[in-house]
Amino acid sequence: PAIPEGMPSDSKTNKDGVLVDEFGLPQIPAT
Amino acid sequence: MAHWFHRNPLKATAPVSFNFYGVASSPAANKICNNLRTDRVRLLEMFTDLTCNPDMMKNATDAYFSLLQGFISFLDGTTQENKMRFIQNFKWTDTLQGNVPSAQQDAIFELISMSYNVAIWYTKFASRMAGKENVTEAEAKDVHRSLKMAAGIFKHLKEAHIPRLITPAEKGRDLEARVIDAYIIQCQAEAQEVTIARAIELKHNATLVAALSYETANFYQKANQTLHTLDPECSNKWKKYFQLKMHFYMAYAYCYHGQTLLASDKCGEAIRSLQEAEKCYVRAEELCKEYRQTKGPGTTARPSEQLFFLKLGALVKNTLEKCQRENGFIYFHKVPEEAPQLELKASYGLAEPLAFELPPLSDQWSAEVYSTFDLTKGAKSDKAKAKPEEEVKPMKEPDLKPQKDTGCVVS
Repeated sequence: PAIPEGMPSDSKTNKDGVLVDEFGLPQIPAT
Repeated sequence: MAHWFHRNPLKATAPVSFNFYGVASSPAANKICNNLRTDRVRLLEMFTDLTCNPDMMKNATDAYFSLLQGFISFLDGTTQENKMRFIQNFKWTDTLQGNVPSAQQDAIFELISMSYNVAIWYTKFASRMAGKENVTEAEAKDVHRSLKMAAGIFKHLKEAHIPRLITPAEKGRDLEARVIDAYIIQCQAEAQEVTIARAIELKHNATLVAALSYETANFYQKANQTLHTLDPECSNKWKKYFQLKMHFYMAYAYCYHGQTLLASDKCGEAIRSLQEAEKCYVRAEELCKEYRQTKGPGTTARPSEQLFFLKLGALVKNTLEKCQRENGFIYFHKVPEEAPQLELKASYGLAEPLAFELPPLSDQWSAEVYSTFDLTKGAKSDKAKAKPEEEVKPMKEPDLKPQKDTGCVVS
């Protein structure tokens, strides 16, 4: 198998390309 | 934040011995039958075991389903129906219909019914965990994942397996579209509740919280409408839950929308939004009482006395007072008669069902072992015919209190 790139994490991006957490909330709260 | 969710009882089932006298004509075939019996018993025990966690549940589920699929898959290289599919009768009660079982002599019925209970278990596990006072981030993730998992199982059953049944689902029973749809929507809405609590805790902006609350309220409304034509005796309590949650999250939506309006100096409109939040909250409170007084399957609770409920009441009251204070000192806006239109679309936090896959077929199965099940030998067995009908005993659930005065037995 290929060597993984980067560390495993909970983060992913939504359809707009915004980084979101496991709950689908933006990683950086926009208060 | 401590959450509260309504839960219907688990499905109960009659024991299955998988004793196919004469049919299982090889040691390997007999071993499969023995393992099916013990794995089924083990899985059923897991449903009511308070120490069971998702890993244990997955192991028990995989063990049973990897064997049961040998009664469903095409094992002899042809696309003909598996000869074992219709050999065993399975009895299952429904989550809304008390102790009256449905029976089908079909391994797919068993696969669906057992998976259904697995999904219900995930919702109960989530409910137990979310009900605690101080839910950690890791626990909140477990709750969120479990609810999406349950939604995924229900969805998978509805799309992939229920259409394969020879006998269609009876009205009001678990496998009927209205009931299964209500469960899917409920799981998604509850997962979003966890997300709303997290968004508030992490101080995400009020617009995000308002939009997600509004969408969640709409989910509950949709679930309520889905059950609209179902027999009221069995579904009224569940519907009351959907209605109270709908009003509760509308109150949330108006409350946070009011905060957005205030932040953009629309104080009069903010006050009106908060007044609407108060109205929804009062209605939710009434529905909590109605829920408590409504007879039917499911949990007994006083939701309006719980922390999650009281906290919103205080938030609405304080925010309204703040808006009114600021209007009296700074803005002097007229409060509109009409409540603001909520046309909020959530971009974040919507919960989608997790894709569910059955485990691969157990390596105990092969075309050769399959060929050693000989249907011509077992069917005439007097021993098999003489076996008395097994009773369906309700599940002894630790987290549901029985309500003796209903037509439906709550386990």
